[in-house]
Amino acid sequence: MVLRVREQQVLGEPFEPGLGRCARDRIDGLPGPTGPEGSKVRRPGARDAVATGFARASRRLSRLSRRGEGSSLPGVVAEALSPGFVARRAAALPDGVIVVSGTNGKTTTASMIGAILSHAGVPTLGNDTGANLRQGIAAAFVGARAGARRAVLEVDEGVLGTMVPALRPRLFVLTNVFRDQLDRFGETERVVELIRRSCDRLPEGATIVANSDDPLLRFALDDRPHVTFGVRLDPDGSVREGAASAEPEICPRCGETLVYERRAIAHVGRARCAGCSWGWTPPDVEVRVLHRRGLCSVELEVEGTAFTLPTGGVYNAYNAAAAIAATKLTGIEPRTAIAALRGFRPRFGRTEQLVVDGRKVWLTLMKNPGSADAVIQEIAGDPELGAVVVAVNDAAADGRDVSWIWDVDLERLATTGVRFFPTGVRGSDVGVRLKYAGAQVERVRREPLDAIRAAIGLTDPGRSPVVLATYTAMLEVRAALSGRVARLMDRPA
Amino acid sequence: MTRFTAGSHSGADPGLLIVHLYPDLLRSYGDRGNVLVLARRAEWRGISVRVVGITRGEPIPPGADLIVIGGGSDRVQALAGTDVVERRGVMADLVAGGTVVFGVCGGYQLLGHRYVGVDGGEVAGLGVLDVTTTAGPDRLVGRVSARASFGGQAFDVVGFENHAGRTTIGPAAAALASVPKGRGNDGRDRTEGAVQRNVVGTYLHGPVLPSSPGFADALLGRALARTRDHVELPPLDDRMEEAASLEALARGR
Repeated sequence: MVLRVREQQVLGEPFEPGLGRCARDRIDGLPGPTGPEGSKVRRPGARDAVATGFARASRRLSRLSRRGEGSSLPGVVAEALSPGFVARRAAALPDGVIVVSGTNGKTTTASMIGAILSHAGVPTLGNDTGANLRQGIAAAFVGARAGARRAVLEVDEGVLGTMVPALRPRLFVLTNVFRDQLDRFGETERVVELIRRSCDRLPEGATIVANSDDPLLRFALDDRPHVTFGVRLDPDGSVREGAASAEPEICPRCGETLVYERRAIAHVGRARCAGCSWGWTPPDVEVRVLHRRGLCSVELEVEGTAFTLPTGGVYNAYNAAAAIAATKLTGIEPRTAIAALRGFRPRFGRTEQLVVDGRKVWLTLMKNPGSADAVIQEIAGDPELGAVVVAVNDAAADGRDVSWIWDVDLERLATTGVRFFPTGVRGSDVGVRLKYAGAQVERVRREPLDAIRAAIGLTDPGRSPVVLATYTAMLEVRAALSGRVARLMDRPA
Repeated sequence: MTRFTAGSHSGADPGLLIVHLYPDLLRSYGDRGNVLVLARRAEWRGISVRVVGITRGEPIPPGADLIVIGGGSDRVQALAGTDVVERRGVMADLVAGGTVVFGVCGGYQLLGHRYVGVDGGEVAGLGVLDVTTTAGPDRLVGRVSARASFGGQAFDVVGFENHAGRTTIGPAAAALASVPKGRGNDGRDRTEGAVQRNVVGTYLHGPVLPSSPGFADALLGRALARTRDHVELPPLDDRMEEAASLEALARGR
């Protein structure tokens, strides 16, 4: 029998697998072999090595059995066989850990930081596939090649409380805060509070790196030193006032209405309070957006150097700004970071270009209204947009409450006259949403791949369908295509 | 503040004026969907619709037929609360004049007398619905299906609840629905939402109206009756909505 384990999405609670004895205090109370439970684990080094062996075997089994991507299971095995495994492995890294958290952009930002470090010759390990709960993080250590000096790990906001003390990061990179999975978090303010509390648990000498264009995040960090990054758009990012995907645009200090000088994505931009004096200040690292080419690429400028980032979107300008700011703190000059980013490829469903039945298809992850609108603002005017597949599931990882699809600016795409293909477990909800958006809606198909094929069939050659998929829908698409995708396409220049 | 204008008043037709209260503040989960569905379903019956967004400090237009209030976080709801107390008199007059008021989640709580927070602090409500809400120790979260009645019509509703508040219904109001699946008003008495004449509150997101077209039409019918002697809403093609409702019903809690 092959163990089938999924990452459980429970706020702040560690995953308790059938195998597991990885209770919260085992990591928090075990900074290393000499920790309070050190006597119970006589030779953690040897034990970790054995655990790693079993864990790697479990990953092969998981992949062979086609049960999963093999992202998390090894972590379950490692932590079960050797409690405190993650904390010890993190402490053993000569250059320590960089943690990336926040609502949107974690995977891509962490991946960009990893690419920059690798380019600079620093051997790194990371959780590239976005498995960002305790087990996914443990799995990253299991899968690490020997000699890694630094870990770059994205961490889900809900497990920061246990993972920050275990990982003891030297850099804590915060991307943004949007409402997301409210069935799990209750309120966006709760996520801000989780981030604030985890800042209190950072080890001495750690540096916080945060997005200065996000009012909620910025206010949460107002009372503590941190390095900031931001994005400058000339002209404005063509974001409409008061987009439904935005958080309420009110001053986090006094509650008055925020006045925007510029908007980049939803509520992210340069804002100042109409009442008190609180507001935006210039970031330490600023990335300028010079020219946008849809999902393909975006031309950026940092410290006077212009370059093309081979993945598009204002949101990727933010991810690049975060990565450049973070790696600068490790001693890597922005020009080196730029050289690495010129060859960057996005990972695992985050704006990937795939080939299905010989045709190009864009696969993008839609986690919440903010991330959906960030993609929509890039594709709405694109003459090559052939069709839109909207795939919505309602598993825990997607958010069980699908109300948020009504906050996505699908009207903006509907007005272009493009055809829509609703799909997923909640495909009919998508269909209703699109009907009231006044969109041209095709019939609902349960399976995302069926919808993608139908979209391809009705798209002129020379144009491409774009798939907006929630997390588990994105995994389904990738799994269904695994036998079909020849390889990721080379990007057009 | 005008969010979107779906149409305009014209000729002898009195049209339908929908006021979306605090669209910039109370919109935590798809609340604009309810407004959109009400507007479109009226337009598809040939009724001209105007939608006006009203936020803090702005007066509610006197001819409002239907007022919709969404939900928000405690922080944001408290900000709306300071504005709400100024509107108590105006709202009472509108309700007496037949304006339909529909509140969801935080908006439902604001329709009542007060909301008592975890720390015992009180946020005063509009006082047009005889309910009182007190914050509970945990949040009631999950999928809901319920049988509701309003305006002499019974219909099924599906949605998702996510609230810390426990709402108690007073003698002047009645429950909107009974909940076979879900926690409802207080997690115990199997009731969901509340109705008092033309004022309706519910905890259901979804948003609730798109996949509960019977509910949307019941609200519309009552709102149109404010200015019309005879209201007839011809049936629409609701096959997609019904499929969505069945899809939601098939999911566990």
